[in-house]
Amino acid sequence: MTPPSAGLLARIGALSVALVLIQIGVVSEIPLFGVNVDLSPLLVAFVGLTCGSTLGAATGFAVGLLVDLALLQTLGVTSLIFTLIGYWSGRLRELRDPQAALTPLLVGAAASAVSLVGYSLIEFLLGVDAPVSLELLRQIVLGVVVNTIASLPMWALVRRTLEGALPDDPRRRRRRRAYATGGLSPLSRP
Amino acid sequence: MHDKTVRRRRALLVLLVVLSLLLLTAYFGEAPSGRLHSVQRGFLTVVSPIQDGANKALKPVRDLFGGITDTFHAKSQRNELRKQVDKLHRELVNDQAEKRSYRELLTMFHLDNQLSVANYHPVTATVVAKTPNIWYSTVTIDKGEAAGVHVNDPVINGEGLVGKVTQVASDGAQVSLITDSSVGVSARIGTSNATGIVQPKVGDPNDLLLQYLPANMQANRGEWVVTSGTVASHNDSLYPPGIPIGQVTSVNEESAYKSVNVHPVANLHNLDVVQVLTAASGSLPSNLAHLASTLPSGQSPGGGPTGEALASTGAVR
Repeated sequence: MTPPSAGLLARIGALSVALVLIQIGVVSEIPLFGVNVDLSPLLVAFVGLTCGSTLGAATGFAVGLLVDLALLQTLGVTSLIFTLIGYWSGRLRELRDPQAALTPLLVGAAASAVSLVGYSLIEFLLGVDAPVSLELLRQIVLGVVVNTIASLPMWALVRRTLEGALPDDPRRRRRRRAYATGGLSPLSRP
Repeated sequence: MHDKTVRRRRALLVLLVVLSLLLLTAYFGEAPSGRLHSVQRGFLTVVSPIQDGANKALKPVRDLFGGITDTFHAKSQRNELRKQVDKLHRELVNDQAEKRSYRELLTMFHLDNQLSVANYHPVTATVVAKTPNIWYSTVTIDKGEAAGVHVNDPVINGEGLVGKVTQVASDGAQVSLITDSSVGVSARIGTSNATGIVQPKVGDPNDLLLQYLPANMQANRGEWVVTSGTVASHNDSLYPPGIPIGQVTSVNEESAYKSVNVHPVANLHNLDVVQVLTAASGSLPSNLAHLASTLPSGQSPGGGPTGEALASTGAVR
């Protein structure tokens, strides 16, 4: 495993800070169907899906800590959830390397669901006095839906920002070559 | 080589998870004046100017999207508002006569201008950040201790009650909105004397619940719910009386007490400028808040309206 380049780390750092600022300054102010889009779990999941589990988990921890610090929330809650999301999406890439067009949508939906349900569970464990109401479930489902809608542009943004700094992946290189040559080496073509 | 990579990856995951759990446990267990809270406030002080700058730079984008979503609601609101205007015109005529009498009475008893919002030394602040999830209904403002803002100061905007200050840094503060699970406000319906506690319905940012009203009390849909000017426990905020909180949407008949659903009047989704009622030291509101904080504890909101530790701003001079 080659260590990530400084360029890649810088791009992830800049992207994370910019997106967290945009999230808390703009996106949180715009409700869609009564809920807000949360870009942070999508960012973490897509960094994991692009760069692997190690960088995914580390990015998740850092973004979670940044969110908790900036919003004066209980430290560690968001870090814990985002670390797991980043690691899980990174493992998905390492084990399956899914290439289907719907992959970002499914990963985005799953990351949002894990984030919202995980948050709720931890808040209940920490003693928030709240009933498990249908309204709460509705909010979680709507949150997952609006985040899933935001998944495709987020995926495009993360991929475009990071792909120039990614180390060349042998599996992807092989796949690109197969696509270009029809699976044959240029030397063996008639 | 592969085993080493796997071991390193797993070790990192375990390390980050353990670190998160340690942070969570330490933060949750410490007092608001503890180290982690101080670090958080320090961080807020550092990023507050950046957030403020970003907030101003991105305001046109926010306004554009906000305008689009607002347009969808505008038509239905217009028809509703026209009906309300007709009704309010009729009420205004009656109220003007009552107001004159009320002013005369206040002057007679030397209570005029003692409890107006202006006496709470309002500090105008801009909202620079807002939480994106359903568990924390908080916003961050760009005014803090340096501007005289303290923990528990009430926060209002042009529409009505917004919330209270829960954490303060030197150049910024965190405001918990009235829809946050940590906030409870003593309130009454319209002109009635019976008070209850307004609390949020967690997970539903558009709905509040006014609880612990006497079972025989009359409450009608559309009536205004306003702050009562009393506190329900010794660590509550002392909100000025008469600040609009919302309108009654439905009434729930329960066993011993009545509760009503309240729709907040302030648009909490689109807060831009707010006022923090700082109650400068030595002022009447400040003295009353201090008096209320010395009341004996043990009278929680659950103790019902009869258990309210009354520090009525209308009763004490």
